[in-house]
Amino acid sequence: MPLPAKAFQRWLHGIAPQASTADICRISGVKRTTLAQQLVRGKVSESTVVSISRAFNINPVAALATFEIYSELAGSPALPTAAELVSQIATMDLLKAVIARPAGTAGGSETDQQQHAPPLAPVPHATSVKNWVDAIDDGELRHRVSTATGIAPQNYSAQLSANRLTPELALATARAAGVGLTGGLLATGMITESEAGWPPGARQAALDALSDGELAALAGDRLQALGRNLKRQEQDHEQTKKIWENLG
Amino acid sequence: MIEILQWSTLAVCCAAAVARIPSAIRGENRSLFYIFVLATLAILLSIDGPYLAIDRVLGGSNITNLILRFVIYGVILLIGYRIAKGFGAPTSVRLILGPVGLGILAVIAGATVALFVLADTAGSVTGLTTLPSRSPENAQLIRLYAGAGRLYPAYVAACLFPATYAAMTSRLPKGIRLGAGLLTLGFAALVLGTFYPLLPTGLGHLEAVVNYIGALAFILGLTAIWICRVSMQAAAQKSSTAK
Repeated sequence: MPLPAKAFQRWLHGIAPQASTADICRISGVKRTTLAQQLVRGKVSESTVVSISRAFNINPVAALATFEIYSELAGSPALPTAAELVSQIATMDLLKAVIARPAGTAGGSETDQQQHAPPLAPVPHATSVKNWVDAIDDGELRHRVSTATGIAPQNYSAQLSANRLTPELALATARAAGVGLTGGLLATGMITESEAGWPPGARQAALDALSDGELAALAGDRLQALGRNLKRQEQDHEQTKKIWENLG
Repeated sequence: MIEILQWSTLAVCCAAAVARIPSAIRGENRSLFYIFVLATLAILLSIDGPYLAIDRVLGGSNITNLILRFVIYGVILLIGYRIAKGFGAPTSVRLILGPVGLGILAVIAGATVALFVLADTAGSVTGLTTLPSRSPENAQLIRLYAGAGRLYPAYVAACLFPATYAAMTSRLPKGIRLGAGLLTLGFAALVLGTFYPLLPTGLGHLEAVVNYIGALAFILGLTAIWICRVSMQAAAQKSSTAK
């Protein structure tokens, strides 16, 4: 749910009492028309607050926590679980790790090859939201989220498959799963790893800690999902082409 | 109200036909251009003023109404074929262009002509509205004639409804889903058309409203798909030159 414009104005006054709206927009890169429209409607989006707080060197999570509906974000967030960390590694990075492992162990003399492993792609990746929810799901999570927030299960899964989740739902999901509250905001790409309080290198460490079997199984699952996705996209593309050939 | 709906449908359809001229000259999907031209003609013939003017030239025996029926059959056949092929519904293509579909068209077309010849149709009347009151026999014939005219569009619409409905709820591009939704609405109007005889007599104008909204939905649906193609291809071209 977007933030009330009144509370936003109060917050803005607190961090930049002198700045005009035009200044704020110039520094933060938020489009003037966007902000004006949000203020007129009385609802300011979370991403606006995130952009502005970044421009003023304030942690966006701390900034969101000053608003009532996000007040539980205050304080230092719980550390991510290993499953969460791995879920935020892109499929291609997992597959690269699969290929790199046997080479590293067989090489013998080059045991420190893993040190030179290419850095992981930044969060979020193409299926980060769904993978995050899958990683923290105990089987009942979707059900609990839908009863807690009132969202219809099919709308919730539609958001997940579209790799989207509103900030409010991201928070509700983390709460229902009992994990660190910033994980969902990170998986949706609203905030970065360091802003979420995830230690640097934690994802790489979690990846290294996976056994060969776990890694292979996980990469296999991801690859299968990727294959299904690509196939569906190709089918859709084919059908679109056919419609255009006949009716375009 | 009905007048406004009629003329705006005509204007939209005519505009769509004119807008298709450049691509028809380039040879892209000429049949779509013919569909719009025939649809414009059909709408023109179903409006009071043009109908009376044309029918006077043709001898004042309502033969224009017969022509209108056949123009509609032609449009429906073309649209049906194109939509069934486009939306990948081989069963629908078979049902429309296979022996069953063409057989149904032949029977309905024959019945249309026969009933028209049998009925007393002298004196131009748009929509043949006053002819039934001449005699009980004429009333029966005109009722059957009108029913036959609605049957073929309803048949084709029922064949295609599942395909466009599925496309509407799919993950295809938004423009296509919008177009498919409008086409589905148009088909629903055509199928509803077969139930007109069950309407109480006071609701005659409802019939015309449903007809024109159906026609409008068709034209807008086809246009939406076309615009979606043009805009997406322009975007693709722009991004490929930007690289």
